[in-house]
Amino acid sequence: MTQLTLASILTQPVGVSHYLIVGAVLFVCGALCMATKRNALGVLMGIELVLNGANLNFIAFGSPYLRKASETMGLDGQLMSLFVIVLAAAEAAVALAIALNFYNSFNTIDVDRADQLQG
Amino acid sequence: MDVATTLPKLLMIAWLLPLASFAITSLGYSVPQFLGIRVRYSTQVYAAYIAIGAIVLGFVLSCIALFGCWLPAHPLTAASHEGGEHAAAQEHATTSPSLFRYVAQHEAQEAASHAEEHNNEAPPYITGDWYALGIFGKLRLTIGYYIDTLTVTMFAMVTLIASCVHIYAFGYMHDELHDYTDHEVHLADGEHLHRRGRFHRFFQYLSLFSFSMLGICISGNFAMTFVFWELVGICSYFLIGFYIERQSASTAANKAFIVNRIGDFGMLIGLMTIWSTLGTFNFGDMKAADGTVVPGVFSQLHRPENHYRIAPTDSMIAFEGRNQIAEAIRKAGSTEPVAMEATVKAEVARLRAEDGTKWGHLLLFVAGVGIFCGCVGKSAQFPLHVWLPDAMEGPTPVSALVHSATMVAAGVFLVGRSYPLFSAEALLVIAVVGCITLFIAATIAVTQYDIKRVLAYSTVSQLGFMMLALGLGGWVAGLFHLITHAFFKSLLFLCSGSVIHAVHSNDMRHMGGLRKKMPITAYTMLVGCLAIAGVGVPFLAGFSGFHSKDAIVEQALSHWHHNWADGFSWLLFVVPVFSAALTAFYMFRLWYLTFAGEPQDHHRFDHAHESPRSMTGPLVLLAVFAVIAGWGLPSFAPGPFANFSIPNLLEQARPIGTLASKPGVYLSDLFIPSEHIAHAPEMFRPIKLPAGLAAITAAIVGIFLATVIYLWKSVSAAKLAAAMQPLYQLSWHKWWFDELYDFIFVRPVHAISAFIAQVMDRGLIDGIIHTLAWIARGCAMVVSTGGDRWVIDNVVDTFAEKTWNLGLSLRSLQTGRLRQYVMFIVVCTIVLFIVASVWRIAVAGP
Amino acid sequence: MEDPIYWPSFFFLLFSAIACAFAVAVVVTPNVVRMAFYLVLSLAATAGLFFLAGADFVGAMQIMIYVGGTLVLLIFGVMLTSQDRFISMKTSNFELGMATGVGVCLFILLAVAARSIPEWHGLTAQQVAEIPLEPTAAPLGMGLLGARVDSPDRSGYLLIFEIISVHLLVVLVGAAYLARARRSRSGFSLTSDG
Repeated sequence: MTQLTLASILTQPVGVSHYLIVGAVLFVCGALCMATKRNALGVLMGIELVLNGANLNFIAFGSPYLRKASETMGLDGQLMSLFVIVLAAAEAAVALAIALNFYNSFNTIDVDRADQLQG
Repeated sequence: MDVATTLPKLLMIAWLLPLASFAITSLGYSVPQFLGIRVRYSTQVYAAYIAIGAIVLGFVLSCIALFGCWLPAHPLTAASHEGGEHAAAQEHATTSPSLFRYVAQHEAQEAASHAEEHNNEAPPYITGDWYALGIFGKLRLTIGYYIDTLTVTMFAMVTLIASCVHIYAFGYMHDELHDYTDHEVHLADGEHLHRRGRFHRFFQYLSLFSFSMLGICISGNFAMTFVFWELVGICSYFLIGFYIERQSASTAANKAFIVNRIGDFGMLIGLMTIWSTLGTFNFGDMKAADGTVVPGVFSQLHRPENHYRIAPTDSMIAFEGRNQIAEAIRKAGSTEPVAMEATVKAEVARLRAEDGTKWGHLLLFVAGVGIFCGCVGKSAQFPLHVWLPDAMEGPTPVSALVHSATMVAAGVFLVGRSYPLFSAEALLVIAVVGCITLFIAATIAVTQYDIKRVLAYSTVSQLGFMMLALGLGGWVAGLFHLITHAFFKSLLFLCSGSVIHAVHSNDMRHMGGLRKKMPITAYTMLVGCLAIAGVGVPFLAGFSGFHSKDAIVEQALSHWHHNWADGFSWLLFVVPVFSAALTAFYMFRLWYLTFAGEPQDHHRFDHAHESPRSMTGPLVLLAVFAVIAGWGLPSFAPGPFANFSIPNLLEQARPIGTLASKPGVYLSDLFIPSEHIAHAPEMFRPIKLPAGLAAITAAIVGIFLATVIYLWKSVSAAKLAAAMQPLYQLSWHKWWFDELYDFIFVRPVHAISAFIAQVMDRGLIDGIIHTLAWIARGCAMVVSTGGDRWVIDNVVDTFAEKTWNLGLSLRSLQTGRLRQYVMFIVVCTIVLFIVASVWRIAVAGP
Repeated sequence: MEDPIYWPSFFFLLFSAIACAFAVAVVVTPNVVRMAFYLVLSLAATAGLFFLAGADFVGAMQIMIYVGGTLVLLIFGVMLTSQDRFISMKTSNFELGMATGVGVCLFILLAVAARSIPEWHGLTAQQVAEIPLEPTAAPLGMGLLGARVDSPDRSGYLLIFEIISVHLLVVLVGAAYLARARRSRSGFSLTSDG
């Protein structure tokens, strides 16, 4: 097991796990963003971050440089991430439309005010 | 233009016009009404215009058919007494376009000259089919036509009277043109019935009625006749029950319908006999598609080899002598079809020759009497006459139509139409029934006070006269009386309607002196009374009824003359003459009570007024016909009018083989004399003179007695009634016929029905059903309490309760806050991971 | 022995540091405008990571669609709703603290999972050097049209491509419908609710 030190990272190629950790950071940041922002647009940005983290994972699993060629997903990972990007764009458009509608209706952008569905 | 093609088309149009009117008014008024749309009264008037237009146009077409088509092709000859008919027949034969004659003319002549008394062959006629309803093997049910002089004459008469009635009804039914209050219907809350007027519906029914009657007249076969026969029945049902809310009206309608069904049952038997032995329903000879001529009912029974005398057909003999034929076949021993057929033929010929000609006559008798049964119902003859007086519940124009031109005329018409079917014995039955009817009805009419009821009984009585005439061999006399009676009886009814319209009562005791208030009605009615009484100058001229009644009495006397030996035939002469006197008596009693003397009810008298012109117009027209219907035009009259008179018309229409006298077969003494015997010059002294004198004497005596009692009041009617109490009661209670029928038929039926309802229905069937129901209910209760309520309901309830509680407990989780949901997701993910790791470490090892 | 610096790894560290730092900055800053800006930087750095992983086309798409498109959209949203009271909205400290705790837990979980598989730790420099450099745009395009040139035994993505295109159309129509200008605000009955 290779030591995860700064030096060893600088001198050796990185692996899937490094990418996964970066993805995890983005993912957790996105989730926290969703959990803490009261602004609806902030929540949206959190979602973008989460999707990005996931995307990074797909790329990492599909990359030929990060692990043995026999194990990689090849182009499948990249195609998946392409789809995710496209869907994220669509989702952003719809979510933004919803947010604007919400803003028009309630004259606020605070998601805590949108609690009409509470039990 | 060819008469054979033009005439059916003309008459078909005249026939179908009322149907078109009915269809239009149905679609235009009844269908919307059925759908809940109220037809405005101003629109309802048009129904009357349509119906009147249709029937008047039908009358015009009938006149064109009679004077424009038929008479130019078949000119009338003066009624000559000896050999005239023969010459006429010969002349018709040469001019007739009929293709369906199956005997060459000279053969007929030859055959006739060999007979001891000449007989006539078929009159000129046109027959054919319009439309085949269905063909079942040999049986063809078709809508066809049989047009002879009788058809054309009836068409003209029916459409004329129907036109008058339609126009009259336009005035009479005016009450129906606004919301109507029926004072004779008492509702539960003591109020009178208020309802919408149904002006259009009345004319709708009238149109259908006219159509049905014309259908009977033009019908080409018995099946079609039967269809329209029933159609007439249902129309009369509708019209008699026009004021359906009145209990009496709906009862009367039911009575008319049910009583008619009894007669129709007999008619069905007759029809079955005809079809099963003759194999056809057609009146005339019909040309089949392959050119062969299919002989009709009449020509099968009157074959030239028998000198057109009535004789049972081979099939009738074969049916009655089936045992003999079977015996003959057994003896012959051959089973080859050809040989067997020959054997059968020989045996039939032997039976025909054997023992007089009795074989087959029973079937003939059954067929004739069966058909007559239908006529008994329709024409209100003796056992079934009870419906007609009750039919007065309908509006008066309907009574007029029913009593003159349509319903009751249909019965007499059918007897006249199927006259060649009747053997001597059947004719005797007809005569006896007619005689009984005319006497009973005349006696009842004497004491009644309801003006329409008197007229109704007089109708029954006059119908009896017609049947008597037909039964005694007076074919022309009977139908002549039918036509003259149609004129004066419709006149009388319309007059009585006018009176009722004016005083709003049917009771003659509320009338009196009305001639000052309504002169037109009074004097037209007087004309009608004189006509029905048969007033005239003997051997010269008189009212229409005089001529026809004279002919009937003559025929009755002729019959007595020829059956001198038997003990009862004098009754068939004396009773009609006596009844004729009664007729004159009660008609003038009616007239005096209504129009002469002092007003009995001043309140009603003051309100009385002459009827509107749409009502008096038809009265005057009919009065004219009631006077002149018996007269004839001389031979030098122009064109088709030469020799025109109703008896001459009818003489031309005389059915095949009815000119000769008919001796009885079973009753060997019976002799139905030829109608022409009485007209022979040598018979003037023994028959014509006494008959004419008897008829006019009867009329004068009757009128004189009525005048004495009701105009001069020399003898008190009440005292007279008291003096003849039993007779008065008998007449007043209508011979207790209704009570008798009630006792014999209605009560037992009720009793049996009640018994069956109580024992069979309630006791047995209901018991079984109740038991089954009880068992089913028990099972259901067990299942319901045990299975449903306890098991299933508990399960369902528990499940629902748990779900409800779960929902309640989960409710607090639903905070509605988006960010908390995200937190939940993340926390749950972490928890899942931890659980999965712990699981892996605990179970699978590190 | 002192190995020479392996430059791809250096750039990896650089880009991942930028991405992570700005991602954390997105979480931390309360100002929504700044959040958008930091997000742009974070996503752009992620695109760099994509390039490093050999996904040149996807990286380009990341920049064009995310950085160029989606974020412009987001910034429009921010501008449309930018009233002062919404620019920076404070969250309660308790929530922040709890979120941080949970986030750290999640991160630890993911990091442990990522490091737990030895095969994922990377190849040697020699192995990497043997891999030929291939552009991915053409194979990706062929894959979307149904033909896989890189591994012929695998199936293409034509159907998914079609579904996604239809989905995009529907979504854009729906978005346009939802976001259309409303003249009257009274149409919505929920407005009065606080």
